[in-house]
Amino acid sequence: MARTSPYLVTDYRQELKAFGTGWKRFGVLVAAVLWLITPLQVGDAWLFILNFIAVFAIGGIGLNLLTGFAGQVSLGHAFFLGVGAYAAAWFGGQQELPLVLWLPIAGLVGAAIGALVGPIALRLSGHYLAIVTLALLFIGEHIFLEWTSVTGGTRGVRVNAGLSIGPVDFTALDVAGTTYSREQGLFWLLWGLVALAAVLAFNIVRTRPGRALQAIRDRDTAAEVIGVNITRYKVGVFAISSAYAAIAGGLYGAALLRSVRPEQFGDFNGILLSITFIAIIIVGGMGTTVGAILGSFVVVGLPRVIERFSGDLPFLIQGAGDSGLIRVSQFNNMLFGLLIIVFLLVEPMGIAAIWRRITTYFKAWPFSY
Amino acid sequence: MRTRSRGRSFLAVLFAGALVLGACGRDDGDETATTEPDDPSGTTETTDGEPGELTAGPGFDGETIRLGVITPETGIAAAIGGPLTAGNQVYWDSINAEGGVAGEYEVELVVRDSEYIPDTGVQQYNGIKDDVVMFQQVLGTPVTEALVPLLEDDEILAGPASLDAFWVRDPYLMPIGAPYQIQAINALSYAVDNLDAEDATLCSVTKDDDYGQTGLDGLEFGADAFGLDIDVSVEFRQGDQVFSSQIEALMGADCDIVWITALPTETIPILTEAVTRDFAPTWLGQSPTWVNALGGSDLAPYLEENFLLLSEGPQWGDDSVEGMAQMLADIEEYAPDQAPDIYFAFGYAQAWAAHQILEEAVSRGDLSPTGVLEASTTVGTLTFGGLLGDYVYGPAEDRDPPRESSIFAIDTSVEGFLSALEVNFTSEPAEDYEFDD
Amino acid sequence: MSQFLQYMVAGVALGAKYALVALGFVIIFKATGVINFAQGGLVMLGAYLTYNFGVTWDLPFWVAVAMAMVVTALVGVVIERVILRYMVGRPAFALIMITVGLLFILQQVTVAIWGDDALNLGDPWGLGTFRIGDIVIQERDLWAVILAAAAVAVFFVFFRYSSLGLAMRATAIDQEAALAQGMSAKRVHAAAWAIAGATGALAGVTIAAGSASLDPSIQFIALLAFPAIILGGIDSPLGAVVGGLVIGITQSLTNGYQAEYLAFLGSGFQSVMPFVVMVLVLLVRPYGLFGTPEVKRV
Repeated sequence: MARTSPYLVTDYRQELKAFGTGWKRFGVLVAAVLWLITPLQVGDAWLFILNFIAVFAIGGIGLNLLTGFAGQVSLGHAFFLGVGAYAAAWFGGQQELPLVLWLPIAGLVGAAIGALVGPIALRLSGHYLAIVTLALLFIGEHIFLEWTSVTGGTRGVRVNAGLSIGPVDFTALDVAGTTYSREQGLFWLLWGLVALAAVLAFNIVRTRPGRALQAIRDRDTAAEVIGVNITRYKVGVFAISSAYAAIAGGLYGAALLRSVRPEQFGDFNGILLSITFIAIIIVGGMGTTVGAILGSFVVVGLPRVIERFSGDLPFLIQGAGDSGLIRVSQFNNMLFGLLIIVFLLVEPMGIAAIWRRITTYFKAWPFSY
Repeated sequence: MRTRSRGRSFLAVLFAGALVLGACGRDDGDETATTEPDDPSGTTETTDGEPGELTAGPGFDGETIRLGVITPETGIAAAIGGPLTAGNQVYWDSINAEGGVAGEYEVELVVRDSEYIPDTGVQQYNGIKDDVVMFQQVLGTPVTEALVPLLEDDEILAGPASLDAFWVRDPYLMPIGAPYQIQAINALSYAVDNLDAEDATLCSVTKDDDYGQTGLDGLEFGADAFGLDIDVSVEFRQGDQVFSSQIEALMGADCDIVWITALPTETIPILTEAVTRDFAPTWLGQSPTWVNALGGSDLAPYLEENFLLLSEGPQWGDDSVEGMAQMLADIEEYAPDQAPDIYFAFGYAQAWAAHQILEEAVSRGDLSPTGVLEASTTVGTLTFGGLLGDYVYGPAEDRDPPRESSIFAIDTSVEGFLSALEVNFTSEPAEDYEFDD
Repeated sequence: MSQFLQYMVAGVALGAKYALVALGFVIIFKATGVINFAQGGLVMLGAYLTYNFGVTWDLPFWVAVAMAMVVTALVGVVIERVILRYMVGRPAFALIMITVGLLFILQQVTVAIWGDDALNLGDPWGLGTFRIGDIVIQERDLWAVILAAAAVAVFFVFFRYSSLGLAMRATAIDQEAALAQGMSAKRVHAAAWAIAGATGALAGVTIAAGSASLDPSIQFIALLAFPAIILGGIDSPLGAVVGGLVIGITQSLTNGYQAEYLAFLGSGFQSVMPFVVMVLVLLVRPYGLFGTPEVKRV
């Protein structure tokens, strides 16, 4: 059997296939198995962190569509997260709609607002866009504070949206006489949704709209010349990215936080939240769907791991009376900044690229092309 | 076709493997999955000195009691979280030196940094909740509010480090100290007795959030009870940079007494604007308006003349008060570098409160989280040797917070800059104020 | 009328601080094409260094300020040499984010050294005031305006008459052509970061002056200066000053009159207003009031 380079693609059908190679199929299988057994092996405290990672991965996948594929920078992602959380509180909590309704509605609300804001924001490019989306955070927080009948004003609102599909309640799973904890059930739900979100995004980017977006990112004038309707695609991807953020926000509120306040999504907390998402796609890999998931593991998970083992790292201080050089969270914040810088300088395509290099090496082994 | 069927059998093998692995279960899997709140299924140990059995559970291994602390060690509120946690720690250091709770169980604090961000607080809470008996400290209204739904679900007790009144009736929280409303009411009582408030123009400047509302609620209640009118009420919002119109409004009404509910970062520009405009009413400040750095600032002379601070407990260093004497002795022993700090004293009292509840839990024979929660309803009255007022505990609906306040003048010649004018006084309207969330 | 003037005074004072912060942004953008999100970190560092030299080391205030400006400028140069130099030609997104990463590091280093407690900067202005009729002007506000004006004047002279300033202008217009004329882009970039560092330190001093006003949160004012730089045009020093003043005055007047005339917008609109003004201006002029439109070449 002749071996060819794993990158050699001979026809378009092959190129379009989602899981073309055996290796990819194997990867998907491993992921499915991990999905199934992780909750059975891991304790609730770590499952909660994994669930946090899942929600950030969904938001990250959405931002990656906007930034990684279409090249537009937004610092307003946190605002759409807030929109989703409040939509979940209202439609899922107050109106008591089931998950299969309130979650898509949250996404639609996000998309609608994204489509409304998009045309204004996307007239601007690059630096201007980044800063103008900051305005969303400040104006959004003001609306969250003032629209008290929906948002509960400064004291915020409980997000009592249901997390069951039909008779299956993921917060209290009961399968064949075995009961599972809230975190176990939510792990299956949230990571299932991550897979769904990733497949959807994957389908968007490998078909016509995705190619159009990449053309815009790489050279917008050229894209326009070859007949890509720039405004339509830009606004479209802004809306889709906002929908992803709103869905992530709805899950964030309903599954993880369970109550939300305006200051979580506006002002400096909002900026921090938006930056967290950008860091996720930088670290994970711009322009790859799987990158958002990998990045989420590092950016959301690593600080918690370091905290957990800070006792073994003598230079870190935790609590009163501990000695060392620097507080754990100071170290974590520095590391956050450092990760962004190092990845941008050394590996702008993120962990995904490192991963690809490793797998390619083994796939092509013993040849090194 | 061949590849596909091969793929399928491969899939079947993998899933079968998954189920086998799954059957092994996680260490705590079965436990968490089946444990009923009232039936703690952790290890049960008999301890030597105790009559009967002492139920252990998460956070208690039969020897050491672990308590959670969710506090800002970094971020905008770190200057509060630091001394407060130090207060917690010094109290427990001193108890541990005598053997610990009930003379035999040492207490260990598990501290996690919330950075004063609710989202981070929720993450930290979930990281340690299965590892602690209760939460010794949760700092800040936003973080506490974020944790309340989780505490309800997990049936864990937590001590909020703020004086908001919402906590009084929450069975999962362990509030201490007189709520902010009481400070405002007692401030008016002091003003009626000493500042001729009946003939004065009374005004307020408060933050337009839940924290500001606590002061305003108390002020309105008190004004009603004493038959006073609040002539001008102005507000401001988090992040405001300019306060000239607020001062303009207060000056325009010729206010003689101004109640202020703000944080130091807002108090400072407000008072600076007042000084430079030669506006010198008597300011009555809710306790968090103060920060020690003000004592060494240019504002100090103005504050000495015009500013009174509402708080609770004796003046720092007044060892005629039993609780203060004990705290000073412990500081000398365990944290000799600690500067006078009202947040340290609060943290110290908070650990004292937890200690009383834990003693009750030990005597009830149940040191599980739910056992501690129940102990908080039967502990009776929490006392602090005069450091804070007595707090009547019981089922949350019967709790009765202290009604005392102390009022301090600013005096740069005393340690901690706060000199007590009246200590732990109360008033009839303060006694009458009802806390129903 | 005197009330209005009093609000204007407060607005101009705030605007001068925004302008000083904005000047730091603009000089880096003009010379290197980077929006420096770490400017807030330089502002904070400059203020803490002033405290360190003036209060901890007990040097005269103006000496402390000058030293803080020099050290912050050096930090700017180091940042440029160690990191930004390797980012030339990268997309806007990467440039923005690398400075965000820097901001996190600057923040944490500053807090690790000087702590979280509020401090007194030790400025000589205290609570002194001047009076013009009924209008009261705080001495430190007056100094903020003077320093901002001085900075603009120095900028003007520097760009107009110094060879380095000329080189910077040339590089901003066309980097390759400037290189061909023998102007060192490296030198120009380093100079821009140094100037931004020094200006940032000066901004930090005006912001942290006053009673117990030096704490880590002063970095956040840099974010509030964003509307100012966008409003004025991101590459125009004049625009930075005008934008800063417009935003400062807008905030002060909103605080003064919004409750009376525009109550339906809800309370506390003054922190939102700068962003609303920014968005409105951009709708009409996508490159701000004084900014250079981006030319698209095919």
